[in-house]
Amino acid sequence: MTTPADIEKMIAQIALRDHSAFSALYDATSRKLFGVCLHVLNNRSEAEEVLQEIYARIWHKADNYAVTGHSPMTWLITLARNLAIDRLRTRKAPTKDIDTVVDLADDRPGPEAEAIASSERARIEACMDELEAARADAVRRAYLSGETYKELAARHGVPLNTMRTWLRRSLQKLRDCLTR
Amino acid sequence: MTTADDPYDDEVFAAEYVLHLLDASERQRFETRLRDDAGLRQLVHRWEAQLVPIADEIEEVMPPAHVRTAIMAKIAQTPSSPPFLRRWSIGILGIAVAMLIAVFAFGPLLRGTVDLTPQFQAELTSEDGTIILIAGVIPPTHEIVIERFADVIPEGRVLELWLIAQGSDLPVSLGLLEAEGLTRIRVPDDIAPGVRTGTVAISEEPPGGSPTGMPTGQILATGTFKDI
Repeated sequence: MTTPADIEKMIAQIALRDHSAFSALYDATSRKLFGVCLHVLNNRSEAEEVLQEIYARIWHKADNYAVTGHSPMTWLITLARNLAIDRLRTRKAPTKDIDTVVDLADDRPGPEAEAIASSERARIEACMDELEAARADAVRRAYLSGETYKELAARHGVPLNTMRTWLRRSLQKLRDCLTR
Repeated sequence: MTTADDPYDDEVFAAEYVLHLLDASERQRFETRLRDDAGLRQLVHRWEAQLVPIADEIEEVMPPAHVRTAIMAKIAQTPSSPPFLRRWSIGILGIAVAMLIAVFAFGPLLRGTVDLTPQFQAELTSEDGTIILIAGVIPPTHEIVIERFADVIPEGRVLELWLIAQGSDLPVSLGLLEAEGLTRIRVPDDIAPGVRTGTVAISEEPPGGSPTGMPTGQILATGTFKDI
C-alpha cells in the first residue's frame, strides 16, 4: 500500500522534475482525484479534462506543497476539488441533479482515503454531528458538490439570505467545536 | 473577535472561501487579501485540512487510460531541468527573480563549477544538549539534507522540520522527516533565501504532519546554520 510518506516523497521528487515519480504518483492517486472530479462535475468528459489540469498543476507546483503544511493527500484532494469547482462555476446552468451523484457515493473508504488520519475524520464528524442535520447537510453539499448559497437555499426552500446566515452560524459553531 | 455573535469574522470568511461559497467578486477580494496576509492563509490551510475528511466518502474511480497517456505526453515535453531554470516558465517576474538569485546564490553554478555538497550546516540539539539531527544545506538545489543522530520520536508520531525566518515568529513547514535514514527536503524558492539566517526547529506531529500549518506537537530541538 502507498503510505502518506511514499506520496510525500513522490511530490518532493516531482519538484525536482522526476518523471518516474510523477507516473508513480499518478498511479497511486488518480483514482481518488478522478472520483473527486466526477463527484463535483458529474460529467465524465469534463472530469477527464479537469484531471489533466490537476496533474499538470501538480507537475508545475509540486514545490508549493511544503508551504501549505498539509499532509500529501490533503494537498492533492484540496487541489483537485478547487479545480473541479472552478470548472463547475464556469458553467452557465447546472447540467445535473446532484442527488444522483450523492446516491452513487460509496461509503467504503479506499486505501488512499485512509491517508487522511482517522483522528481528523472522527473530529470533523463529531463536530458535524453537533450541527442540526439540515445544516450539516448543507456544509457537506457545499464541500462535496460545490453547491452555492443559491442552490442550497432552493434545496431547503429558504430565502438566500437565510441560508447564508444559517451556514455562517454553522461554520462558526464548527470552528468553535474544532478548536475545543 | 471570534464570538458566537460575530459570525462574519475571518474564520468564517476563510471557511466560505474554502467551500467556494463566496461569490466571484468576494472571492477575488479575499484572494487579494490572502496574498499579503500569512495569518489568513493559515486559516485557509487549517479549514482545508479540517474539512478534507468529508471527501473520504467519495469513491475512487479509475480514470480511462487515454487520460494517463495525455497527461504523461504533456509532462514529457518538460525535460528534467535544474530547478532554477524552471523559474523561466513563470514569466518576467520569475526571470528577474531567478537572475537575482542566480547572481547571488548560483554564482558557482553559472561558472560551471556546481558544488552539490552541503555548504552550511545546523546541529539541532534538544534542551539537554543532545544532538538530535544535523541538517546540511546544498545552496544550488535548495536542498536540506538531514541526518538523524538520536532517536527521539514517540510511537506513532512523525518529525516535522520548520523554518522560522529571522525577524519572524511564524514557523513555515519545510516537510516531514523520513522514518529512518537520510531525508532530503527541497526548500521552496521563495523561502530558500531565509534558511541561512533563520532558525530551524523540529517538532513531533501526527502521521502526515501538522494538520494546522503550525507546529502542534512538542518542539524537540532547534538550531541555526553555520558555514562549513
